[in-house]
Amino acid sequence: MDFSYFTDASIAQLLEEFYYSPLIIQIAIFFIFFSVLCILVTYTSILTKRYKGYRLEKKLERINPIIDDLILKNIIFNDELNKDAEEGEPANLIPLHDFQKIPFKSAFGKQALINRIISFRKSFKGTIAFYLRQLYIDLELDKQSFNKMKSVKWDKKVVALVELTAMDMSIADVNILPLTNSKNSELRAEARHAYIKLSKNEPFKFFDVVTEPLLMWDQIQLFKIITTTEDIAIPNFARWVTYSTNKSIVSFCLKLIVYYNQVDGIPAVIKLLDTKDHGLRANAINCLGKLKVDEVEDKLLEIYGNQTQNCQIEILKAIGRIRSGKSIDFLKYEFLHSSDFDLRKNAARSIISGGIKAQETIQLLLDTATKENLLILKHCMNPLIKF
Amino acid sequence: MWEFITSFYESTIFVYGLTLLIIYAILAILSFIAIASYVKKNKYFDYDAIVSSPLTPGISVIAPAFNEGLTIISNVKSLLTLNYPVFEVIIVNDGSTDETLQLMIDEFSLIIVEFAYNPKIKTQPVKCIYKSTQAAFSKLIVIDKVNGKSKADASNAGVNLAAYNYFLCTDVDCILDKDTLLKLVEPIMKQNKGRVIATGATLRIANSCDFDGTLITRMRPPKNLIPRFQEIEYIRSFVMGKVGWGYINCVSNVSGGLGLFDLDIAIKAGGYDFLSFGEDMDLITRMCRYSVDNKIKYAICYVPITLCWTEGPSTLKTLMRQRTRWARGLAQIVSSHFSLLFNPRYGKMGMIAFPYIFFFELLAPVIEFLGILYFIFLIFFGLINWKFALLLLVFVYSYAVMISTLAILWDQFTFRYYKTWGEVLRLCLTTFLEFFLFHPFIVIFSIRGYLFFLSRKKHSWGNMERRGFNNTTLSTAK
Repeated sequence: MDFSYFTDASIAQLLEEFYYSPLIIQIAIFFIFFSVLCILVTYTSILTKRYKGYRLEKKLERINPIIDDLILKNIIFNDELNKDAEEGEPANLIPLHDFQKIPFKSAFGKQALINRIISFRKSFKGTIAFYLRQLYIDLELDKQSFNKMKSVKWDKKVVALVELTAMDMSIADVNILPLTNSKNSELRAEARHAYIKLSKNEPFKFFDVVTEPLLMWDQIQLFKIITTTEDIAIPNFARWVTYSTNKSIVSFCLKLIVYYNQVDGIPAVIKLLDTKDHGLRANAINCLGKLKVDEVEDKLLEIYGNQTQNCQIEILKAIGRIRSGKSIDFLKYEFLHSSDFDLRKNAARSIISGGIKAQETIQLLLDTATKENLLILKHCMNPLIKF
Repeated sequence: MWEFITSFYESTIFVYGLTLLIIYAILAILSFIAIASYVKKNKYFDYDAIVSSPLTPGISVIAPAFNEGLTIISNVKSLLTLNYPVFEVIIVNDGSTDETLQLMIDEFSLIIVEFAYNPKIKTQPVKCIYKSTQAAFSKLIVIDKVNGKSKADASNAGVNLAAYNYFLCTDVDCILDKDTLLKLVEPIMKQNKGRVIATGATLRIANSCDFDGTLITRMRPPKNLIPRFQEIEYIRSFVMGKVGWGYINCVSNVSGGLGLFDLDIAIKAGGYDFLSFGEDMDLITRMCRYSVDNKIKYAICYVPITLCWTEGPSTLKTLMRQRTRWARGLAQIVSSHFSLLFNPRYGKMGMIAFPYIFFFELLAPVIEFLGILYFIFLIFFGLINWKFALLLLVFVYSYAVMISTLAILWDQFTFRYYKTWGEVLRLCLTTFLEFFLFHPFIVIFSIRGYLFFLSRKKHSWGNMERRGFNNTTLSTAK
């Protein structure tokens, strides 16, 4: 093997050699240089990223305790402010001087201030929460948040919405409402959150304009916002059950009807039993069962035969929840004669949930059941087994 | 004529290699986009909303156990403390011959319950089902069944019992992040382009990590070289490979160590194949097929963060057994689903994912092995152009190192998993050795697996020899 080639050749010779090499070798040489360069860039990136992360951590470790001390000293343990509050309306007497010092003039310092104020405000209500908001406004940090709202980047908008919502700053409907239908799920969710919390008129107006389906995540987040936001006027959700063409909105409103026990909405839910959509119908049956609407029991039995398995299970569960005792024979029949294991199990569970009214039937079934049916009954009667 | 054959062979192999390298480059770009998007979006994800919501879907956690007496108690406790509002833990004791079951009975106050068990997927007979009499362990169900000689059979028994619409399948000896369920359910909740039938996340080697009980307190790259090579391999395979494929909805496998599945689709697809050595990949393939056949628009998602740690083989012998089994499983899957290859009916699965598996996963070790034989042949007959041969070797080597290094960088984007510089550097430097010290063994073990598949050699499914995490803790604490 002759390695002198690699040591003796001049750059010009190497280039000439490269030029006359087969294509395969040219590609290989190109990729060798590319790979080596890429490895070096990668190492530098790892180094830079870790160093930046380290620097940020250190900076926050230094600045956050300063901010916390200032907030504690000037707001939370400020006797002057608390005295004013005790005497009547909270007065605007926050000493801003310390907050306007050099570390808080940079964008980083201002952002750290916003984050700490929001963090403190989550833990306080009443006067202190009022003064924390006042501090945010007096330091003109709200301007920084509103500027982010104007950004074309979705993530900046999200940050702005989070900050403004946390500080109860009002945002014009015209600015938020279009965002509630955004294609970006994070922005959409945050805009809806902000709209419900901040809209003074109709916090649920966006239900009318939502065109995209509400994802499972959207529903979970909205549910949390609706059920935890204070001073919010809860509408009759049956309105959307009746009029909305968005299936996911209808399905979500059914869950809210159950949560708020809105019996006024029952007629609208009953009407939904005639829908052709199996999923929605199952949701409606589930809702009626959870609301314990006994007047719908006959209708459920009537439609049972021509339902999908999913809806049939929901009907059996609903009867079990209503616990009127009227349909024991039906449940018994299903338990004994259905060929579907899940239907039999749900029928058994509903019979057993009938309590005293079903005592006689339960005993009869226990005495006469086949081995498999007896196992199902014992399964459903065992308090250790949930499902 | 001979010259033509060798020239044709060399050109074909070069095109093959180049295509593979281009695919790696594309995957690197795709995974980077996916990771950047995940990191950006995840900043605003409110996991508390999932924890506190009554709308959160329930999850059944299924963990088969076979002779896991060493770690069973701490691992079950770890599973029971997962941070999620609605879940159950189903431990399937697959006919253990050690004290696995008795230990659980004693520790969790288990009693036999009369359970109406409805086997939707056929398994070996279930002997008993146990529940705890203590409210603290009310989420726990233990199935005691006849040994089915495969993890698949045990997992199927758990699937039959699962009460919720989603199930997480894991190994009982895996250590899960406490937020695993929250993070795996997130793509299911946020997906709007189809029904998410499975989600997975990155697995990592736990060999040198520090533990407090079953909680990871400090992540470290393995000190031993064999597990450290696997750590790099896992990072490359999960963070770059699966996340990249996930970005274009072409994931072909969700690891058996950690995967969240749609129960309904999994059952309708027939559950795990107990005869398969690659039951996890086989299940995903069948779930995809079922979805396409039934016109269900499906998605399989990969989360680019580490949620599961597993003890990697630390000796060549155990590594050989593991990789032989994997290779055999791959050959089985390709052979049983061969009709998928370039079948446009199955969309991306048929046209992208499966051809990739066939050409660049199944055939790669064979082509590599033949290449080495050909190289030896050329040396023997003095037909080697050493200058070009060395250049080509450097080319492949530098590219392989680059891909592995990029994977480590991508991994660093999601989370700074290792505390010190030295640890990252050690991992980066290991990539320079992998090509020579680890990869050749993987090729040999794969060929061995294919030969076993072709010769239909009998293979008994069993456990890897484990040291147990408690021992690891002690060793790292020294």
